[in-house]
Amino acid sequence: MRHFIVVALLVIACTFLTHTAITSIDILPRKASAQAIPIDHLFEIQLWLISFLFSLVTVTLAYSLIVFRRRPGDVSEGVHVEGNTRLEILWTVAPLVTVIALAYLGARSLSEVQRADPNALQVEVLGGQWFWSFTYPEYGVTSDELYLPVSKQALLRMTSLDVIHSFWVPEFRVKQDLLPGKITELRVTPTETGEYTLLCAEMCGTSHAYMVAPVKVVSQEEFMAWIEEKISQAKLDPVQRGRKLANQYCTACHSIDGSQKVGPTWKGLFGSLVTLEDGTSVIADEVYLRNAIANPNLQIRKGYPGNVMPNFGNILTESQIEDLVAYIRSIE
Amino acid sequence: MKVILSLGLIRGLLWQLLGTALGIGFFTLVRALLGLPSWEAEPAIVVGALFGALFFLLGVGVLNDWLKWAAGEPTEDHVDDSHLGWRRYFGPSLDHKVIGVQYLVLSLVLMSVGGLFALLFRTELAQVQMQFLSLDQYNTLMSLHGMVMIISILMGIAAFMNYLVPLLIGAHDMAFPRLNAFSFWIAVPSAIILLSSLALGGFDTGWTGYPPLSVRAPIGIQMFLLGVSLSGFSSILGGLNIIATIVRMRARSMTPFRMPIFVWSSLATSIISLTATQLIGLSFQMVMLQRLFGMSFFDATKGGNPILFQHLFWFYSHPAVYIFVLPGLGIISELLPVFVRKPLFGYRWIAMSSLGIALVGFLVWGHHMFTSGMAEYLRVPFMYSTLLVAVPTGIKFFSWLATAWQGKISFETPMLFILAGIVVFLLGGLSGPPHAVVSTNLHLHDSYFVVGHFHNAMYGGFVFPFFAAIFYWYPKITGKRLSETLGKIQFWLMAPSFVIMSLLMMRIGLLGMRRRIADYEPAFGFEPYHLIMTIMAFLTALGVVVFFINVIYTQLKGQPVTGNVWNSRSPEWQVPSPMPVHNYERELIVVGEPYDYGSPGSRYVKFVGEA
Amino acid sequence: MAHTSKSKAFRLGLLVFIALVVLTVVEFFLAVYLNVWLLLVIVALCKAGLVIYYYMHVYRLFQADTTLDRNSYAYKLATNRLGLWLFLVSDSFVFGGLMVARINLLGLTHPHLEQTVGLIVTSVLLVSSFFMNRAETAIAHGKRNQFVASTAITLILGIAFLVGVIGVEWRIAPFGPADGAHGAVFYSMTGFHAFHVFTGIIFLAIVLRNGLRGCYSSERHWGVEACAVYWHFVDVVWIFYYPALYLIGTVIE
Repeated sequence: MRHFIVVALLVIACTFLTHTAITSIDILPRKASAQAIPIDHLFEIQLWLISFLFSLVTVTLAYSLIVFRRRPGDVSEGVHVEGNTRLEILWTVAPLVTVIALAYLGARSLSEVQRADPNALQVEVLGGQWFWSFTYPEYGVTSDELYLPVSKQALLRMTSLDVIHSFWVPEFRVKQDLLPGKITELRVTPTETGEYTLLCAEMCGTSHAYMVAPVKVVSQEEFMAWIEEKISQAKLDPVQRGRKLANQYCTACHSIDGSQKVGPTWKGLFGSLVTLEDGTSVIADEVYLRNAIANPNLQIRKGYPGNVMPNFGNILTESQIEDLVAYIRSIE
Repeated sequence: MKVILSLGLIRGLLWQLLGTALGIGFFTLVRALLGLPSWEAEPAIVVGALFGALFFLLGVGVLNDWLKWAAGEPTEDHVDDSHLGWRRYFGPSLDHKVIGVQYLVLSLVLMSVGGLFALLFRTELAQVQMQFLSLDQYNTLMSLHGMVMIISILMGIAAFMNYLVPLLIGAHDMAFPRLNAFSFWIAVPSAIILLSSLALGGFDTGWTGYPPLSVRAPIGIQMFLLGVSLSGFSSILGGLNIIATIVRMRARSMTPFRMPIFVWSSLATSIISLTATQLIGLSFQMVMLQRLFGMSFFDATKGGNPILFQHLFWFYSHPAVYIFVLPGLGIISELLPVFVRKPLFGYRWIAMSSLGIALVGFLVWGHHMFTSGMAEYLRVPFMYSTLLVAVPTGIKFFSWLATAWQGKISFETPMLFILAGIVVFLLGGLSGPPHAVVSTNLHLHDSYFVVGHFHNAMYGGFVFPFFAAIFYWYPKITGKRLSETLGKIQFWLMAPSFVIMSLLMMRIGLLGMRRRIADYEPAFGFEPYHLIMTIMAFLTALGVVVFFINVIYTQLKGQPVTGNVWNSRSPEWQVPSPMPVHNYERELIVVGEPYDYGSPGSRYVKFVGEA
Repeated sequence: MAHTSKSKAFRLGLLVFIALVVLTVVEFFLAVYLNVWLLLVIVALCKAGLVIYYYMHVYRLFQADTTLDRNSYAYKLATNRLGLWLFLVSDSFVFGGLMVARINLLGLTHPHLEQTVGLIVTSVLLVSSFFMNRAETAIAHGKRNQFVASTAITLILGIAFLVGVIGVEWRIAPFGPADGAHGAVFYSMTGFHAFHVFTGIIFLAIVLRNGLRGCYSSERHWGVEACAVYWHFVDVVWIFYYPALYLIGTVIE
């Protein structure tokens, strides 16, 4: 009996100790969305459960190892106990009840995470190898940064251009895959202004590690100002617009300084003679570049495998392609 | 030279080379005859690899008896090949003990290869930005590490199931010895094919091989898909054999609830590997078909569904985790009473909990897909079913605690590894529920937290029990005992450093470190953690090196040990070591409970004619 | 006594075959006139049940051992049976997985296929199962000539099935394997099944050759039994695949 009391006290003490130790460091990143609140609440409950079970098992085990260790010279056997049905039932039923309760809490928490605001700001998120693009259909604006107004739910309608990607901002806690040919949805309500990083969480090929994009949560006024600026930017000269597009979609694979990346470099590309896969050569003129963007598998460069570059004809408008060609032309 | 050529393994490798060349040539010839452009790399290499695997099996000679049966010729049932000495370990022996050792060696080889891959990319991660690996090299090594280790684990559990199950149930061999040899030898060419992906441009999909990424990956992915599909047969047929052996070959007086507990966990594992393994094979073959013939199973633009792959894949790959850990947990339950000198607490409950884990395990795969965009209504049911796994797992933990309570505990090397197994598996188990609960999973999915959780489950459920088993049964296998000193050095190198590494994995995962990335954002401040983890990984690896030194040292300098080293009640320890060729000379009779330690004068088994 | 049990066994095989034919006809007309998928599933389950019980003799798995001598033929035979059935359980997960893919991708539609060909190949396979059963019954009663003849007929019907599926249906189908999800599903399901038929034909050829050489007797014919059980299994798979590919739902164009 004495053993049990000591162990019980130690387990309780160790539970609190473990919990305090873990919570003394920030185990989760800053909480920056309304969805993070129910999720973090559930983390806290789970942390108590983990601390308790960890203490229960390790303390009991350590106690046995120390107290019931074999002393030198002792050759006797342990106590002959084969089992105890009541105990077994207890430690079957108690965990069963616990996990059902946990699942119930999980389901409730999930419904809170998914709560929909009918006035949510719509953002169309497009992922591709290896870029992010965000379109605000209400304003007709496209950007490579995700701007979100604070305290307003954003409904992210996401799709992928090629392979599966996944949308994750650790501070927002929620995550959702982007599928090719299908739209998936995620609702995020930022609660704190600031800068965050959007990460692609699903392995998506060579440059998966670098598939990140800045996220800026700003006040409603700043957000509107940014939208205004974006709209006016559309009136810039074509090379400027093209550069912006290039940074968003192209430079992950095409260098502008002649260095080797997944795709051919753009340095000195315009007007040069390029060799195609079938051995023939063509001049990289405007028609060639336009085809290379809108229908990349039509003329494949020698030394670069086909079916790698996405078909941007489906993503970019005619005038955007013109901007891009103008930009490529400007790179000496 | 003649001796070398008489080894089945060498013949097999030469034949595989020949077969691969023939396959490629044959395919190209057929294309040329059909008037097509004769050279197309991808299908040619796939055909070549298939031919290579078949030729390997022919070369080893593992198909000889079956070919004789097909020709209506008789074959011999009990072949004693012990006169071949060490050479029988390199050929198609039918003895389950030889096959067990073959599996063990293959497992250790693959573990070293997979571990080497891990050390390479772990070193790359120690600092921000890429230092000595390219992105593609990193992705290939990371992906291969996963699958090579999985196959190493499958070989490792097969090693002990093969070696032990017939011994523990008093059988002279497995139910189907030829199938047993086949199951092992098919794994060798599969592993070679898998590793050959390195030479064919690698692949960048992770071990999961999700389409559409795997459809767009370099040719190396075909070798990955094919190697895994083929080695699946090893698992399937091995599982079949174990089930049939347990059902049909037990000593007559051994009722189900008097079987050693490891036999129960082998049965549970085999039920999963017999059935679910087919689906990873199928899902991988579907990707191969999509690549080779344009069959659009997973191409959304042509009516396919990428989520379908994930369902088929995880229907195996989640239960697979239970395939990996159930035998390890069985080893813990098997060895704990020996070092505690007390009966296994709640034997029947532990036996049933293994089956419980196996059966519930079939219903939980969806928790890998909570963020995948699968049908919304599936998320909550999968959360409930996944959390249910905690119940039978809890039974095991509590029963182990009760077993150790009031024992007479001693700390030989196997016991140390058992204890590390329990604690590390506990860490893996406790980090499980946050994944199972959908809303917390939304944060954790595909983060380094998962990596930490999974490595804890694997080390606690497989690696540590595996080393415990090697140290424990080494005298039975070889007649020599591994050095305790070196064993303890190995333990203290491996266990603490591994725990630190895995806790740090979980820590940075929670903070936003993604899994499967070659490089990470400097702004997150993960660099010091990665540096520590890399050092810990090297210490763990050093522990494995010490193990190999221990084996060599023991083989050279170790004194013969023939008796019941651990004072165990188990039948295999009641006869001298190493085990005779046909196991027990006299039939085995069960006269008591398997784990009645502390009950003076009681015995578990005796032999016919023995008083 | 022996004679009555013999004629009873043959008669039972015939009766089961007639029931299967009737059910297939019912199935076809159900599909044409009602097309309720649940009814078709029920009919398929009835057909599969008949084959599994009467042709594959699943109950033999649960018969108590007559001897406990581990080295006796009878004991090993029962072990072999268990092994074969475990293999079939495992194999059915492949076919089940393909069926899941079909349900997921096609739902209540089916590819545009030639119904006559489907009905003919289904009938051919059904008849082959009847002869396979006849062959096994014959060898079990020591009638070697009948055994050899029935095995040969089964073999020929098996080849006819392959020709029907690969040689005719694959050629006349208005779509290829790369044409959409229905192409992928149709060619993979029939392809995996045809591969099993092909291995079954090899198995039959081996049994036929060894049968001609007199390797089997009424007491010892595990090879024949294994071949028969495997062949019927392939038939059971087709019992589900036929409605899944030809009958259930509406046609995709």
